[in-house]
Amino acid sequence: MANKFISLKNLKFLLYDVHNVAQFTENYDYYKMHDLESFDFMLEAALQIAEKELYPFYQDMDRNHVPEVVDGKTNTHPQIAKFLKAYTESGWMSSHVPEKYGGMQLPGLVNLCAEMIFYAANNGACLFPGLTSGAARLIMAFGSDKLKKEYMEKMISGEWMGTMCLTEAGAGSSLSDMVTSAEETSEGVYKIEGQKIFISGGDNDFSENIVHLLLARIKGAPAGTKGISLFVVPKFRKNEAGELVDNDVIPAGAYHKMGQKAIPAMHLAFGDNNNCEGYLVGEANKGLKYMFKMMNGARIEVGVLGSAISSAAYYASLQYAKERTQGRDVNNKNPEEPQVPIIEHADVQRMLLLQKSITEGAMSLVLEAGRAHDLSHVLEGEEKKRASLFLDLLTPLVKVYPSEEGIRSVSNGLQIFGGYGYTEDFPLEQMARDMRITTLYEGTTGIQSMDLLGRKILMENGAAAKILFEKVTETIELANTHDELKKYAAILGNEMQELQGITMHLAGFAMKGELKRFLADANLFMEYFCIITVAWQWLKQGTIAKQKLLTANPSPEDVTFYESKIHTMKFFFHYEVPRGAGLKTRLMDTEMLTMCKDTAILT
Amino acid sequence: MKLLVCVSKTPDTTTKISFTENDTNFNTQGVQFIMNPYDEWYALVRALELKEKLGSGTVTIINVGPADNDTVIRKGLAIGADDAVRIDANPTSSHFVAKQIAEYAKAQSYDIVFLGKETIDYNGAEVGSVMAEMLDAPFISFATHLEVNGNTATINREVEGGTEVLEVDTPFLISAAKGMAEQRIPNMRGIMMAKRKPLNVVPAVDSSDLVSVTKYELPSGKTDCKYVDPENMEELVSLLHNEAKVI
Ligand SMILES: Cc1cc2nc3c(=O)[nH]c(=O)nc-3n(C[C@H](O)[C@H](O)[C@H](O)COP(=O)(O)OP(=O)(O)OC[C@H]3O[C@@H](n4cnc5c(N)ncnc54)[C@H](O)[C@@H]3O)c2cc1C
Repeated sequence: MANKFISLKNLKFLLYDVHNVAQFTENYDYYKMHDLESFDFMLEAALQIAEKELYPFYQDMDRNHVPEVVDGKTNTHPQIAKFLKAYTESGWMSSHVPEKYGGMQLPGLVNLCAEMIFYAANNGACLFPGLTSGAARLIMAFGSDKLKKEYMEKMISGEWMGTMCLTEAGAGSSLSDMVTSAEETSEGVYKIEGQKIFISGGDNDFSENIVHLLLARIKGAPAGTKGISLFVVPKFRKNEAGELVDNDVIPAGAYHKMGQKAIPAMHLAFGDNNNCEGYLVGEANKGLKYMFKMMNGARIEVGVLGSAISSAAYYASLQYAKERTQGRDVNNKNPEEPQVPIIEHADVQRMLLLQKSITEGAMSLVLEAGRAHDLSHVLEGEEKKRASLFLDLLTPLVKVYPSEEGIRSVSNGLQIFGGYGYTEDFPLEQMARDMRITTLYEGTTGIQSMDLLGRKILMENGAAAKILFEKVTETIELANTHDELKKYAAILGNEMQELQGITMHLAGFAMKGELKRFLADANLFMEYFCIITVAWQWLKQGTIAKQKLLTANPSPEDVTFYESKIHTMKFFFHYEVPRGAGLKTRLMDTEMLTMCKDTAILT
Repeated sequence: MKLLVCVSKTPDTTTKISFTENDTNFNTQGVQFIMNPYDEWYALVRALELKEKLGSGTVTIINVGPADNDTVIRKGLAIGADDAVRIDANPTSSHFVAKQIAEYAKAQSYDIVFLGKETIDYNGAEVGSVMAEMLDAPFISFATHLEVNGNTATINREVEGGTEVLEVDTPFLISAAKGMAEQRIPNMRGIMMAKRKPLNVVPAVDSSDLVSVTKYELPSGKTDCKYVDPENMEELVSLLHNEAKVI
């Protein structure tokens, strides 16, 4: 295994300099209890936990103790429980929770940075706490005091785990088709019956209980999304004596999947014996709306996951490229001369820069969403609405860019290892498998793309897109104060104009009612939109790096760091932004080849 | 039990070392500092464990240094120390540091004064013994294990090829080596509470340095590795004799 999986220096640069977390601790009462020195300590502590409890077990969890259901019990790797203990004791399980519920009230921005550290060290294992805290937050937002007391507290103390149960065999992307049923037996208490599949962390052998946040249809509810309700369905429920008794949630099996083997994706049967109780969260038939809160958070988490795996792959490839000698400079044909480290070859540098530009661009994009989240939390009125709208726009981008481009980034990393990359002797093959899930769960790229083009761009008369344009313009103005960056500011400015043109062109189809045509290439629109948005993140990083070089009396290490930022920014503009041209051509094309009525064309 | 833990600030282990002022001073520009690992991982943690085991007592950390050492001190508070003292002076030599802490400790009557076995920058391992002399108290160096029963402590020291077991009555000074305890990762609550714990800044007493540094030198770089054909013993012997000059 490589020595390094993430750069704390880079995270701090993004957190403090690019996304200015001090703005929160200085200006908003909710976060005033914190300061940057504490954030330093916390992130260092997170790195120590990751180095001790997660990273050394990354490969072993892929190969040994892979979860299976045996005699009705699902085993997990023994280290998962140990890691969770350290994670909970150090406070991360409740870090985002308000103080009044015993949490740390940490800005989401800091939390995201810590998650990047944990996920980079061992992405599968970290899904257990990730899902648990997401589920706990859902109860916090919409559950009754009773549910909070009985379930949420146990989850944020790390004693019980949590899951989200949406998917069914006939309802994956199309949640409105779910059939799991709920029938009221007494006030707020329902009898649950149905099958859920692919449930991450759906069972385990270490926690006393598991709290499933489950979507089901109350008997007689309207069809479609308007008839879906949210329930807390524990694996063990409390009887009248307050003892935990079986709640008829049966682990029917664990899928044999490609990666993330530390955590099982379960097929769960609810109420096979007519004895499964669920407790309604909030109001009936509003379940999908509530669940979207968790799903939006989870989509950001997928962005964290993608950036984090990408980071671990980058540092592994970088180390390998420095150590592996092979071939000589193209000008040097002398076999007597020693071979050179492969990092000296232009093509290897290209792959490394691609990895770095995707990884650090993705991280910055994720934190941009984190900032919008934190602002939407502390602001009021119009400003709050603005921050929320912006977050809504960024969410599908954060779900898609780090995952789709992360796959590309890890694949290039694997390429750097040559044939060894394809073997189990190095971690890249595992990273490539782990990474592959990110474009699938929490809404596939296809679904996210339709969300971006079909809803987010158009919502409130394009208000969210307008906010993005304003913010990009601010960055361009700042970049224009440095001669070296003017060229890149101009490129970004042009691309923004083009993007507006394409958006108007496509929106034209929506206005004419040609919905299918409008959305047919949503995926490519997403790809283009992501490139421009990440170019914006790079111009931001480059501008700040430039300012630091001019003003901060940097040490030699800092000079290298900032120069590397500017160099990578240039790489992104010269190698990645031009890819947009092909996408633009296609998006403006009139020939439609993917809307064939007669699917026999695909023989 | 009143426990005092001496902590110092050292450059991060990955720091690239360079010197200034005609190679008489360490160049601190852009250097990332940490708490000396022997102080943090072993001395401080063992002191905290003792307090926890006894269920009473206090753990105070002390540092001689300027205000920018406060970050390292607060890290110690985050790990669990109850309070901290910083003697406001530039630590110019082991003797100077020992004098400052001894003067402060004299008035406070600590039961045990902990130090790390050495700092990872200057590797002096001197402060403990000089301070013990000043405090007229026993000093056990390089300890790997410590148990306390009433006023008596049993201490293990690793010696060449084995272990030495000692007994000593409080008050005494001890320097902690690897094995004494396991590193503790500060938790968030500790980090948040550290900001509210007392950090008292006290002025330095007069003291002079008995030694001064005339020059620092970096180790000479590693020489290249040479491969010799396993059949060619003559070449190997010649290289060892003429180049490496070891035979
Ligand atoms: C390892 C793993 C863990 C998971 N964890 C969980 C979990 O914890 N909880 C949970 O509830 N679910 C979980 N899932 C389920 C996951 O969210 C779904 O698999 C995903 O949403 C896709 O649904 P599907 O598999 O039914 O694919 P489908 O919906 O059948 O999609 C197949 C393909 O068709 C495309 N497609 C579908 N509908 C449309 C459309 N209308 N327009 C255009 N294209 C479309 C999709 O983009 C995709 O490419 C997990 C899945 C996996 C593999």
